[in-house]
Amino acid sequence: MMKAVVVALLVLASAGVAHAYPQYQLSRDATCTSCHIAPEGGGLLNENGLAVSESISWKPGDSTFFYGVETPDWLHVGGDVRAAGGFVYPGFASAAVYPMQAEVYANAGSHGFSINLFGGLRRPQSGAPLHAFWSRQHYVMWQQHPDEGRGLYVRVGRLSPTFGLRLAEHVAYTQRFGGAPLYDEAYAVAASYVVPRFEIHATGFVHDPIATEVEHGDGGALYAEVRVTEHVAVGAEAKYASSNDQDRTYAGVTGKLYLPGPEVLLLGEAQYIHQALNTGSMDKTTQLAAYVMASKPLPSGFMLDLGAGHYTEDTRVAGTDRECVDANLHWFMTSHLEWILTTRLELIDKGSGPNGGYALAQVHYRL
Amino acid sequence: MKLARTWMCVALAAGCGMTEDPRPATFEVVTLEILAPSCGQVQCHSTSSKTRDYAFDTLPAARLTLRELVGPTAAESRIIGVMRGTESPRMPPDYPLPEVDIQLVATWIDAGAPGL
Repeated sequence: MMKAVVVALLVLASAGVAHAYPQYQLSRDATCTSCHIAPEGGGLLNENGLAVSESISWKPGDSTFFYGVETPDWLHVGGDVRAAGGFVYPGFASAAVYPMQAEVYANAGSHGFSINLFGGLRRPQSGAPLHAFWSRQHYVMWQQHPDEGRGLYVRVGRLSPTFGLRLAEHVAYTQRFGGAPLYDEAYAVAASYVVPRFEIHATGFVHDPIATEVEHGDGGALYAEVRVTEHVAVGAEAKYASSNDQDRTYAGVTGKLYLPGPEVLLLGEAQYIHQALNTGSMDKTTQLAAYVMASKPLPSGFMLDLGAGHYTEDTRVAGTDRECVDANLHWFMTSHLEWILTTRLELIDKGSGPNGGYALAQVHYRL
Repeated sequence: MKLARTWMCVALAAGCGMTEDPRPATFEVVTLEILAPSCGQVQCHSTSSKTRDYAFDTLPAARLTLRELVGPTAAESRIIGVMRGTESPRMPPDYPLPEVDIQLVATWIDAGAPGL
C-alpha cells in the first residue's frame, strides 16, 4: 500500500493553473475583461477585479499585489500559487499530493501596447528541452481602449486560443477531453472584440516547436458569445488543429443563465469532436463532451458549484461513455487566499465499468 | 414523415452499430484514440512531463514507452496489468479506462503489437 501511495504521489504530481471564474460573469459583470486584463480572462486582475476579489471574500484585506507593493502605472504584477492534496479512487483509495502552479504574471506597457509574461515553475522533466523554469504565455498586446476593458484586442505571441468556457476546474470534460485542455498554449495571432453586448475571438496558431506541450497541431479557433438579455448568454465555438499524426475538429455551443432570485448561475457547454488519423489505418472517430454547472455564492465568502459531465470517447463503440458528478466548495477566505474542497464521482459505461473519482482539498494563493 | 423515418433509421443504425468495436487494433489507434487522451495528458505521461519517463501523447514518444510496457502477450504485459488493476498502481489513477479500450489494446498486443 505504501508503495502505491508513493507511486501515486509521483505520478499525480500534477499541473493546474488558475483561470477565470465565469461563475461571476452575469451576476456581477458582463465580460471577462471587467475583471481581467486579458480578453479571455485568467491571469492578472484589473482594478475592478481586485475590488471584486475583496467584495466576495470573508475577510477581504488589501487585495493588491503583496498587500500593497507599489508598482509604476505602466506595470501590473501578480501571480498564483496552487497545491492540492487528498484521495483518488480508481478502484483502490490512495493519497495524492498535487503541486499545481507557481507562476508570476507581468503586464508592462502604455498607450494601449503591452508586453505580457507568465513565468513560473513546473516539475522538472527528464529528456525535455525545458525544465523547471518556463514561460507558459508571453505575448504583445494592443488594446483599443486600454482603460475600459472593451473594444478591440490584438495579441501576438505564445498564448491560449480562446475557446469555450475556461473554468478554473480544468478537469471539466469539455476542457480535459475537449478543445481547451490545460496548457494548450501555442504561438498565435489573436484578435478579440469585446463589448458588454457580445464578444468574438479569433485565433490562428502554430504549435510550439521547442517546448511541445499539449497542442501538437497548427490551426485556428473561433469563439463568439452574445448576451441575449441581462441574465442570458449564448455562445458558439469552433476549432481545428492539424498535426502529422491527426486532424482534430471541434464545434460546440455554450450557454449561461443567471437566476437572480436564488442567485444561481447555470453554465453549460457541449462539444462535437471529430478526430481523423493521418497515419496507419487513417481511422476516424467522433467524440462528444458536455459539462453543466450550477454555481451559487453563499455567505461568509463561500461558493458552491455542482457539476455534471458526459463524455463519449467514440460514438461507434458501446461502453466508451463516461459520466461524472462534481461538487466543489470554494471558500474565499481573503482576497488572496482561497480554499477549495473538490470532489468527483465518475462512472464508466453508466456504472458497469470501473468507476473513479477523487476528493481533494486545494489551496490557492493569489500574490 | 420522411424526416422522422430518417431520424429513426439513424437512431437504429447508431444503436446497432455500437454492438461491436469497429476500431482497427493498430499502434496508431491504440495510441492516438485511447492512450493519448487518457494517459498522455500534460500533467501525466506527456512528452513534457514524462512521469516515470513514460509518454503517450505522440506516436514517437508512445513507441518508445510501449516497447518497455508491452510483453509477448497481453497477459504478460505490464500496461494491461495496470490498466486492469491487477498490477499496482491502477492507471489512470482517477479516470479508469473502459474495458472495451483495454480489450482493444490487449488484442493489438496479442497480434504482435504491429507498428511498435
